[in-house]
Amino acid sequence: MTQPSWDQLGGPLSGTEFRAASDAIVANIEQVIEGKTATVRLALAVLLAEGHLLIEDVPGVGKTKLAKAMARSIDCSVRRIQFTPDLLPSDVTGVSVYNQETHDFEFKPGAVFANLVVGDEINRASPKTQSALLESMEERQVTVDGTTYELQTPFMVIATQNPIEMEGTYPLPEAQRDRFTARIAMGYPDPGAELAMLDVHGTSDPIVALKPVSDASTVRRLIATVREVHVADAVKQYAVNLVTATREAPDLRLGASPRSTLQLLRTARAVAALEGRDYVLPDDLQTLAVPVMAHRIIPTADAQLARRTTDAIIADIVHRLPLPHERQRSPYDNRPPAGDGRAQYDPRRG
Amino acid sequence: MRDRHLGFVAAAATLLAAAPLSTIFERWTWLIQCAVAVALVAGAATLARSLRAPLWAQLLGMVATLTLVLTLMFSSGEELLAIIPMPGTFAHFGQLMNFAVDDMRSYGVPVPDRVGLQFLTVLGVGSVAILVDLLTVALRRPALAGLPMLAIYSVPVAVYTDSVHPLPFVIGAVGFLWLLVADNVDRVRRFGRRFTGDGRDVDVWEPSPLAAAGRRLAVVGVALAVLLPLAVPGMTSGLLANFGAGGSGPGGNGRGTGGRVDLFANLSGELKQTDDREMVKVTTNDDRPQYIRFGVADELTNDGFRSGRRAASSPLKDGLPPFQDPGAGVNTGRFRATLEVTEDFDMGLLPIYATPVAIENFKGTWFYDPNQQVVFASRSSARKQKYTVEYIRASYTASALRQADPVPQQDPMVEQYTAMPRNQQVQERVDELVQGKSTPYERVRAIYDFFSVKNGFSYSLQTEGGTGGNAIVDFLTNRRGFCQQYAAAMAWMVRAAGIPARVAFGFSSGSNRRDGDSFTLTNKNLHAWTEVYFGPRFGWVPFDATPAASVAGSIRSDYAPDVDATPEVEPSTSTSAGPAPNVPGGTVGPQDDTNDSADLGAGVGSTTPTTPRWPWFTIGAVILLLALLAVPALRRSLLRRQRQSAGGGAPAAAAGAGGGPGDGPRIVVTDVAAAGRAREDAHAAWAELLDTMVDYRVPIDLTETPRATADRLVRGGLVDGSSAEAARLLGRAEERARYARDPLQAGRLGEGLRAVRKALASRANRRTRLAARLLPPSVLLRWRQAIVESSIRTVLTSGRMRDGLLRWSPRRLLTRPSR
Repeated sequence: MTQPSWDQLGGPLSGTEFRAASDAIVANIEQVIEGKTATVRLALAVLLAEGHLLIEDVPGVGKTKLAKAMARSIDCSVRRIQFTPDLLPSDVTGVSVYNQETHDFEFKPGAVFANLVVGDEINRASPKTQSALLESMEERQVTVDGTTYELQTPFMVIATQNPIEMEGTYPLPEAQRDRFTARIAMGYPDPGAELAMLDVHGTSDPIVALKPVSDASTVRRLIATVREVHVADAVKQYAVNLVTATREAPDLRLGASPRSTLQLLRTARAVAALEGRDYVLPDDLQTLAVPVMAHRIIPTADAQLARRTTDAIIADIVHRLPLPHERQRSPYDNRPPAGDGRAQYDPRRG
Repeated sequence: MRDRHLGFVAAAATLLAAAPLSTIFERWTWLIQCAVAVALVAGAATLARSLRAPLWAQLLGMVATLTLVLTLMFSSGEELLAIIPMPGTFAHFGQLMNFAVDDMRSYGVPVPDRVGLQFLTVLGVGSVAILVDLLTVALRRPALAGLPMLAIYSVPVAVYTDSVHPLPFVIGAVGFLWLLVADNVDRVRRFGRRFTGDGRDVDVWEPSPLAAAGRRLAVVGVALAVLLPLAVPGMTSGLLANFGAGGSGPGGNGRGTGGRVDLFANLSGELKQTDDREMVKVTTNDDRPQYIRFGVADELTNDGFRSGRRAASSPLKDGLPPFQDPGAGVNTGRFRATLEVTEDFDMGLLPIYATPVAIENFKGTWFYDPNQQVVFASRSSARKQKYTVEYIRASYTASALRQADPVPQQDPMVEQYTAMPRNQQVQERVDELVQGKSTPYERVRAIYDFFSVKNGFSYSLQTEGGTGGNAIVDFLTNRRGFCQQYAAAMAWMVRAAGIPARVAFGFSSGSNRRDGDSFTLTNKNLHAWTEVYFGPRFGWVPFDATPAASVAGSIRSDYAPDVDATPEVEPSTSTSAGPAPNVPGGTVGPQDDTNDSADLGAGVGSTTPTTPRWPWFTIGAVILLLALLAVPALRRSLLRRQRQSAGGGAPAAAAGAGGGPGDGPRIVVTDVAAAGRAREDAHAAWAELLDTMVDYRVPIDLTETPRATADRLVRGGLVDGSSAEAARLLGRAEERARYARDPLQAGRLGEGLRAVRKALASRANRRTRLAARLLPPSVLLRWRQAIVESSIRTVLTSGRMRDGLLRWSPRRLLTRPSR
């Protein structure tokens, strides 16, 4: 993946600024989605980790609402695609049309050319259309007629799908699912939140009144800050151990990909930053393991027969995998107390 | 084929089990004979089985083979074709058995090659071979085959008084275990093919994994069986010996006790030896040591004197009965002697001086017979012992003895010690001698004086042994003999005079070549004399009737002077330094006096019943045990101190405040060295917290992050209030130390630890608290893990070495057998 350079992103924010900016976005979204702070923060974390989000749940729990609220909270270009069976790939990527005035083909950008792309009911489109997203999601570019067009930063696809109703749907191919950084479920609101919702949503849809609290440049600086978060060697080791464990788990036919390792750590950085830390904890990985990995793995037929969900399998692995032993701590930790020249010291940390 | 293999193993195991017999024999002839016999028996069994003979035919074949082998080896010359036994052969066998019984009686271990004993050995081992073969191959009950093997092993155990060397036992045990392993591997073979751990077939050149496991178990078992008794103090000499002695002690098997050797036979045998062998080395402060005693023959039958039934005895380690001062007429002096017995004196009797009051430093289990004044043992030997005897030397005066009254006829002593078969000739002689003598002393003196050169008595070792009635009459007629005849004849005659008497065995005082306080007694100094009972006041008074000139170190006293010396010098030549006969008893020579007081002064501690040593051993063992038990707790407190001193160390140079967002105010350490210290402190504090949790039985989860662990402690209500804060602080410090760029310099981790520990302790029950204090589970767990890890390493290393060695195994060259 080509990542924008520092200059493109802008300088990282200080702790207070970061906190203010991120809290504003979260608070704004929560005006619409009540009692789902964790889900909202996770969605934001995926945005800051430069990933894509798959929201999967039964109809009517607010999937689309979350996607829309997030898009509205950030003052940036937002496009929405309603995936229907007759949607064409060119609708997504764009198409070259003949301009009679200039006697030339002109590229008409598709829906994907935006900062936030909300793809509703993504599994209702044909696989042909679904795969139009592959290149843009991973490589942040679109190639049409031999010409490659770069996408802007931030770029995030928020897709929703309904896992229950399978009629007339095309399940996402494995390659597509692996491109989504995290899959989250909304879940039903608790009774209190639902009651509050009745009051707020009874008369008008609050999403209409939602005002942006951030803009694309701020988000870019937020992303730059997240990239700064420190990951100790022990944490990296733990991430690798986790992913390896999914590949070796007897219940799984397909384990998590190396891409998932990368995205796991990236999202963990974002989560750590959102929690006000400048270092990643194994706790972050543990929390993120299910949302980041569960949708990528394929259980064996036996596990499916035993009705073990991928979520349960991943949670089980997390529960059983020991933390990397202290002896494998980073050399930074093991240096002699007196300190010597080998100690790595980041001057930027002051 | 398998049966043949098993039969071979059975025969070999029998021979291995016979290894303990090597300790009995001086030479190895028996082994060759046994090997031949066992091999032929096994061959016969294999032949019978290959002919598919039924069980009874196999048994018959083996028995017949053994009989033929025995006939061939121990032929009487009457056999048909040298191997077919005839009736004369079996008569010969019976004779050999009698020889064996005689040899057992007369020889000590190790025995030379005696044909009777060899016959018995081959017969025994051959029979065991038959039984083992039957049980193992025919009946497939190899475990039972251990019983006949054990029977062989029990022979040296029964013969040897002290413990048997462990090596023969190991060899025998290895034989038995080999049998078991061979049988079980065979069973598995019958069941199917054998696999290695990784699913391959076991190749023919490879050791079977099953057998390997069996071997490992066997090695451990045998090693334990040998080492454990060695490690347990007093098991070899204490428990078993006590048990054994308890059965044959007081009122046990009587006359055999401690005297497997016929004392008379032994005496004459030793005296007739041509070479001098040192037996006892004595060091004493007694200037005129009396005879050393070790045995008594006090039962008189037609066959002569022999050691009688022991009426009473007490363990020697419980001390000796106190000495009662006999009063006037008997001078007593207290002396101390150290006796060192060489390996040539191998009896269950301890040579001691008469009237012992304390015996120390002896090894083994010994009993004291107060009647005979003899120390004996059923399973211990005096061989190579060195011990100290404290004793009372009594010297009697003739005048005092003269006043001794006759012991009443109803006295049990009289009844017991005058019991004798009637012998007309002896009785007549005695009646003639004691005629007109009224007091017991005069009667005894009359008999004693009779054995004089004047009456034609002379000393000669060239006489027939025996102390029976005929032997005594012969002696009184021929008047030639040595101490044995003199002592027995005098005892017999004194009894005939109605006075209790018995024969004592021991050493004369030697050739008097004294080297300072010590001198050596040889087999030539073995001696026998008569002891006469003069009532409870005097006790048993020794009379040595053997001509003094013929016995080196013969001791005479004024009550029993040398009858062959000229009468005029009789009183003064008496070697006794005691008072003259006409002086009433009680006065003691100055020399004796000083001796007495000195000895009494020195020996006060030892005259009081010696305090047994076991309490000290027990206390020592308990202290050692407590010290060992305290090691984990010590280790734990040491660890804690180290960690707390680390955690509560002086705050490192800290600069800059309020770094990242959240987590409240904190100090971020910028100094690299201080950061390293802070990290170490946090790690130490965290390790201590984990150990504390383990100690108080709070589960540890290796999958948990420090934050999660701290949260669990708080959530589970295990800590609250300030301790909850402390737990959280510890968690944060550890997670920052592990995962952040800069560690948290909290400074008060030590206090936090104390708070958490207190909170955990208050939640735990009493037992857990006690265990945490005395036997901290954290330390034990770590040790256990260390042991497990090291044993795994050992197994892996040895496995690799074995694999490497297997490459060179010649069995690799064998082809795979067709199955």
